[in-house]
Amino acid sequence: MESIALKATGINKYFHDPVTIPVLKNITLDVRKGEFVSIVGKSGCGKSTLLYVLSTMDTDYEGTLDINGVQATGKSLNALARIRNESIGFVFQFHYLLPDFTCLKNVMIPALRLGKYSYKEVEARAYEKLKMFGVEDQALKRADKLSGGQQQRVAIARALINEPAIIMGDEPTGNLDSKNTGIVFDLFQKLAKDFGQTIITVTHDEDFARRSDRIIEMADGEIKSHGK
Amino acid sequence: MKINVNTEIALTYLSARKKQTAIAAAGVMFGISMFIFMQSLMKGTNDYFEKMSFNSTPHIRLYSENKVADTHMLNSYLKDSSVKILTNPKQLIQTLGINNPYGIIKEIIKYPRVANVTPQVTANVIYTSGSVQIDGNVAGVNIDQEDKMFDVQSNMIAGDLHDLNRVNNGLLIGKGVADKLSLHVGDNITVTSGTGSPTIMRVIGIFATTIKQIDETKSYANIVQAQNLLGKDRSYVTDIKINIDDYNNAPAVARDLETITGYKAEDWVQANEQLKAAFKIRAVILNSVIGVLLLVAGFGIYNILNMTIYEKIKEIAILKAQGFSGQAVTSIFLQQAVYIGVLGGIIGVIVGFLITLMVSRIYIGAGSLKYLPMSFYTPHYAEAIIFGILTTVAAGFFPARKASKVDPVTIIRG
Repeated sequence: MESIALKATGINKYFHDPVTIPVLKNITLDVRKGEFVSIVGKSGCGKSTLLYVLSTMDTDYEGTLDINGVQATGKSLNALARIRNESIGFVFQFHYLLPDFTCLKNVMIPALRLGKYSYKEVEARAYEKLKMFGVEDQALKRADKLSGGQQQRVAIARALINEPAIIMGDEPTGNLDSKNTGIVFDLFQKLAKDFGQTIITVTHDEDFARRSDRIIEMADGEIKSHGK
Repeated sequence: MKINVNTEIALTYLSARKKQTAIAAAGVMFGISMFIFMQSLMKGTNDYFEKMSFNSTPHIRLYSENKVADTHMLNSYLKDSSVKILTNPKQLIQTLGINNPYGIIKEIIKYPRVANVTPQVTANVIYTSGSVQIDGNVAGVNIDQEDKMFDVQSNMIAGDLHDLNRVNNGLLIGKGVADKLSLHVGDNITVTSGTGSPTIMRVIGIFATTIKQIDETKSYANIVQAQNLLGKDRSYVTDIKINIDDYNNAPAVARDLETITGYKAEDWVQANEQLKAAFKIRAVILNSVIGVLLLVAGFGIYNILNMTIYEKIKEIAILKAQGFSGQAVTSIFLQQAVYIGVLGGIIGVIVGFLITLMVSRIYIGAGSLKYLPMSFYTPHYAEAIIFGILTTVAAGFFPARKASKVDPVTIIRG
């Protein structure tokens, strides 16, 4: 039996303002370890909403969510923060780096939070990650002094610093040109294949989606197709 | 030592906004330095007025009080409820002063907490020089003891007070008396009491207290001279003045001495009720001013942290997405408040000390008060730091809690 990285069962979610409308309808979903999954669908179909529920940041839903075989639903906010810190890395459409810090510090912060390694080790690991994305020469620059492509690569390095079991992307290549998109895609694929990390991304980029292991199609808050 | 990541983020935020941090810290600094300055001024002033009042008032004054005749003893002697003794319900003058004053003084000295005791004869008199007459009173004292207890020397502006022991008929007069009668050291003055005959005395010194009323009426004479003025014998004493080790114990000691001696013992608190009231009012005024200052400093911090949080809301969301718990976010922002408070507090204590030092050098020159009375009292500095840190923590608490409640989903999805 293949191990399951993420399992969602019977997820329902409603928006209450101004009137109660369902946005996610009875979603059940399994993602295996080392799988590279893309979630696609039209704007407003609920795919981003689903991603945030899966990420444990959004706790206002019905149903259950298991991450790495541990039930996340019903856990305290602090416990969920710990799960995110340890097991989930995020890449957003916008880089969201902390502009007052150097790139290196930005990458180091989640690892310092985790507190698993010493400061020196964290620093070495952060350099390693920056090198993977070819931005190690920018390490000591403030994050807001970099170009958009570089910033996004630093942001991805930051998502990987704690070697999370699951990497989630919300339009991770949405702001990147095709060259940078290619780099990011290749890296994601490598992470999934070589390091067994699970990747779940929401994307509009059909090309990007087509090249991933599995495409989950959504429409009107429901999963239309689970892919292969 | 490894710096906690929360601390590191807090410090980075503060140093990234040096100007705002400096302004917030300046607010705290201002509040704390004013706190120290005001407390020092208040304590200095209170101490000064207390000292001044002890320059003219003893801690305890023992005197014979006029009484309404008391029939209690007679009635209990008669043991007969059918006989009622009636008395004149008017005050009777106890003209004899204190009976056996030197015996009583010996008794008082035995009391453990008593530091100094001196007898005094007070005489109401008329001063005459040429054709001008003014009312006043002569305090017949042992000038050496008087000086020891009340530091008469510090008020002297002309002459030598020890001449009171040497010069026959010597008189130490207040500056007001001297001015009104245009007297100088060495001049003669006629002093008349209600019961004695007019006596020509010699001005051997002039003193000035800060209290005009005293300067315009009071004079010191040798105790024997005052007894002569009143036509009384050597055992006539009107008051016994007592200083004790700690003036705060005066009310309790006074009650004991009343029981021991049987005479009225008035402590300085009773004699200076207006002084006590003034202390209290000053405390209320100054504490409200200090409260407002700290409140303003607190609002400064509150404002700046609130602004930072609005500015940084996306960053807070991202920190939470990366696994920073609400507590960690609270810690980041509360730490910023504390660092601002500590920075402002340290500078505030130094500035407060310097202001106090500077103001204590301002020349006032009113009576014997040459410089503004400032106290350098260490507990004020400790209090200032405690209040400063409490204020900043309270001011930082609400923004920090708000930051901890930021919902990352709403912020990141926009």
